[in-house]
Amino acid sequence: MQQTPALLIFFAALFTNNILLSNFLGMCHWLACTRSMLSAFGLGVAITVVTGITTILNYVMYHFVLIPLHLEYLTFLIFIAVIAAFVQLAEMVIERFSSKLYYSLGVFLPLMVVNCTIMGAALFMVTRNYSFGQTVGWGFGAGGGWMLSAVLLAAMRKKAGYSNPPAIFKGAGLVMIIAGFMALTFMGFNGMVAIE
Amino acid sequence: MSETSPQALPGAAGEGRKAFREGFLTNNPIFAQVLGICSALAVTSKIETSLVMGVGYIFVLALSAWVVSLLRETIPHRIRIIFQVLVVCVFVIVLDQILKAFYWQASRQLGPYVGLIITNTLTLGRTEGFSIRHKPMTALLDGIGNGLGYATVLALLGAIRELLGSGKLFGAVVLPGSVYTPNQLMILAPGAFFALGLLIALLNFVMLKTAKRK
Amino acid sequence: MKHKNLYTMFYAAILGLVCALIPTAVGTYTRPLREANAKVDEIKNTLRVLGIPFSASTPSKELVTFFQDRVVQQKSGDLTLYYAKPEAGQAADPVAIRFEGRGVWGPIRGYLALGSDMRTIKAITFYYHEETPGLGGEISTAAFMGKFPGKKIVGSDGAPGFHIKRLGASEQNEIDGISGATLTGGKVETILTLLADRIVKENIHVGD
Repeated sequence: MQQTPALLIFFAALFTNNILLSNFLGMCHWLACTRSMLSAFGLGVAITVVTGITTILNYVMYHFVLIPLHLEYLTFLIFIAVIAAFVQLAEMVIERFSSKLYYSLGVFLPLMVVNCTIMGAALFMVTRNYSFGQTVGWGFGAGGGWMLSAVLLAAMRKKAGYSNPPAIFKGAGLVMIIAGFMALTFMGFNGMVAIE
Repeated sequence: MSETSPQALPGAAGEGRKAFREGFLTNNPIFAQVLGICSALAVTSKIETSLVMGVGYIFVLALSAWVVSLLRETIPHRIRIIFQVLVVCVFVIVLDQILKAFYWQASRQLGPYVGLIITNTLTLGRTEGFSIRHKPMTALLDGIGNGLGYATVLALLGAIRELLGSGKLFGAVVLPGSVYTPNQLMILAPGAFFALGLLIALLNFVMLKTAKRK
Repeated sequence: MKHKNLYTMFYAAILGLVCALIPTAVGTYTRPLREANAKVDEIKNTLRVLGIPFSASTPSKELVTFFQDRVVQQKSGDLTLYYAKPEAGQAADPVAIRFEGRGVWGPIRGYLALGSDMRTIKAITFYYHEETPGLGGEISTAAFMGKFPGKKIVGSDGAPGFHIKRLGASEQNEIDGISGATLTGGKVETILTLLADRIVKENIHVGD
C-alpha cells in the first residue's frame, strides 16, 4: 500500500473503491440532491473540490500538528473545523455563481460540513496511512467518485420519472430500490484493485 | 396527522408536543427528511448495534438541540454552522470519555460509532433547521422526537436485515438453516437499500389505507 | 460593520477555546479511570486467552494483583510474551502474544496463544475491531475464534504464515473464512502471517 501510485488510487477511488458505493459514505446528499442533473452535477463539482482540498489540508494538520503534539483526540474537531471553513467558502462561491444551484440545494449545502464522504475521505487518509502524493490522488478521487455516482443516480431518476410505478413506491421508495441495484452493481468491483 | 384532540394546548407546551410528534412520524428523519442515512446503513446489519446507536444518538441529538437553542440569540450568523457542529462534536467526545471512565462495557459497544454520530446529517439538520429558531424546551422535544423516530427506523431495519440476512436476532438463531437459507445480501448495503425502500412502500400503503378510511 | 465583525471574531475565539478546553478537561479528569479500565480489560483478555479462570465480579484491584501473581510478562523486543507461572520443571504453556494491525474499517487487536512449541495455536481472541457487524465483525465470535485451536502458524513445509481460505481449508495453517467477509479475512491473514513470520525468524520463545 505504501507503493501504490497516486494515479492508481485516484482511479480506484472513482470506480472500484467508490467511497459512496463501496463504503456507503455520503448517502444523504446522494439520495436527496439527485432530483435534478443540475444539483447532482453542481454539488458533485463542489464535493470534489472540497474533498480534494480539505483532505490535503487535513493531512498537513494531522501529520504536522496533531501527531507531534500528541493531540490525536482532537482529530475530529480539527478535521471538522477545516471542512466547515471550506464548505463556507464553497457556499459563498456557489451563491455568487449559480443562485439556481444555491436554492435547489437548500439546507443540504451547509449540511455538506457533515457529509460522510468528505469526513470519511480524511479519516481513510489517516487509517490507510497515505503519503502526501497518495492523499492528493485519494482526495480528488473520492470526491470525484461521489460526483460520478450522483450523476448516475440523477440520470436514472430522470428516466424513472417517465415510468409509472405503483403509488406506494413513488418517491423515496423507488429511489432506495434504484440505489440498491446500483450498489449491487458496484459490488462487482470489490477487491479488483487494492488501494489500502 | 391533524390536531383533533380537544386537549390541544397552545403555546410552548403544544408546540413542543407537536414538534415531538412530527419528528417521530410525519417528518420522520429517514422517511421524510432523508437524513442520517449513512449510519442507518452502517449499523443496521444487526439489531443489537442498531439499538446501541439509536439510544446513544437520542442523547446526543436532544442535548445538542437544547444547547443550540439556549444560545441561539448569541450565535453570530457567519459561524453558526461551525458552532453547531462543534457543539455536537464536543458532546460526543465528552460522552465517549465519560462512558469509557464509568461504563466501560457500554463504551465498547458505542465506541466505533462515535465518528458516525458526529457526521450524522440529522443532527445538523435539526439544529440548523429547527433548534436555532425555537425555544429550548421545544427544541429539546423536537430533538427527542426526531431521535426516537430515527432510532425506531434503525431498529426496524436492524431487525429485518439481521433476520433475513443471517436468520438470527440479537445473535441468537431464530430461523435455523434447515428452514431458511439466510440471504446474505441483506447484511450488505444493497440489502439495506431494498429493505428501506420496501419499508417506505409499506408505510405509504398504511397511510393511504388510513386516508381512504377517513 | 466593525462592531459585528469584532463580535464574530471574539465569539469564534471563545468557541475555539471552549471546544478545545472541555474535551481536554474531561479527558484529563477521566484519564486515570479510563486507563485503569483499559488495563483491567487487557488483563481480562490475557487471562481468557491463557485459559486462566477468574471471576467476572472480582474487584479491579484484586484482579490486578491476581494477574501480577499468576502471569509472567517477558519482553522480546517490542513484543511481550504472557504466560502463567509454570510448575517446577514444566514448560510455559500456553504463551500469549498481543497483536495489532489494520482491519478494513479500523485497527484489529487481539491475542494469540501458542503452545510451548511456539507453533501450535492454543487459542486466539480478537478483542477490538471496527469491522462491519454481521460480516467482518464475526471474527470476534466464538464460532470463528473456535476454528483456530489445534492449527499451527507454519505450513507442513515449515514456512511461517497463516491463511484464511474461501473454501476447503486443508493445511495445518489454514482455516475457512467467513462468508461475506473476504476483505476482513485478508486483513486478519496479513496480521497473523506477519506475526508468524516474526516468531519463526526471530525464534521468539520463553526463556533466555
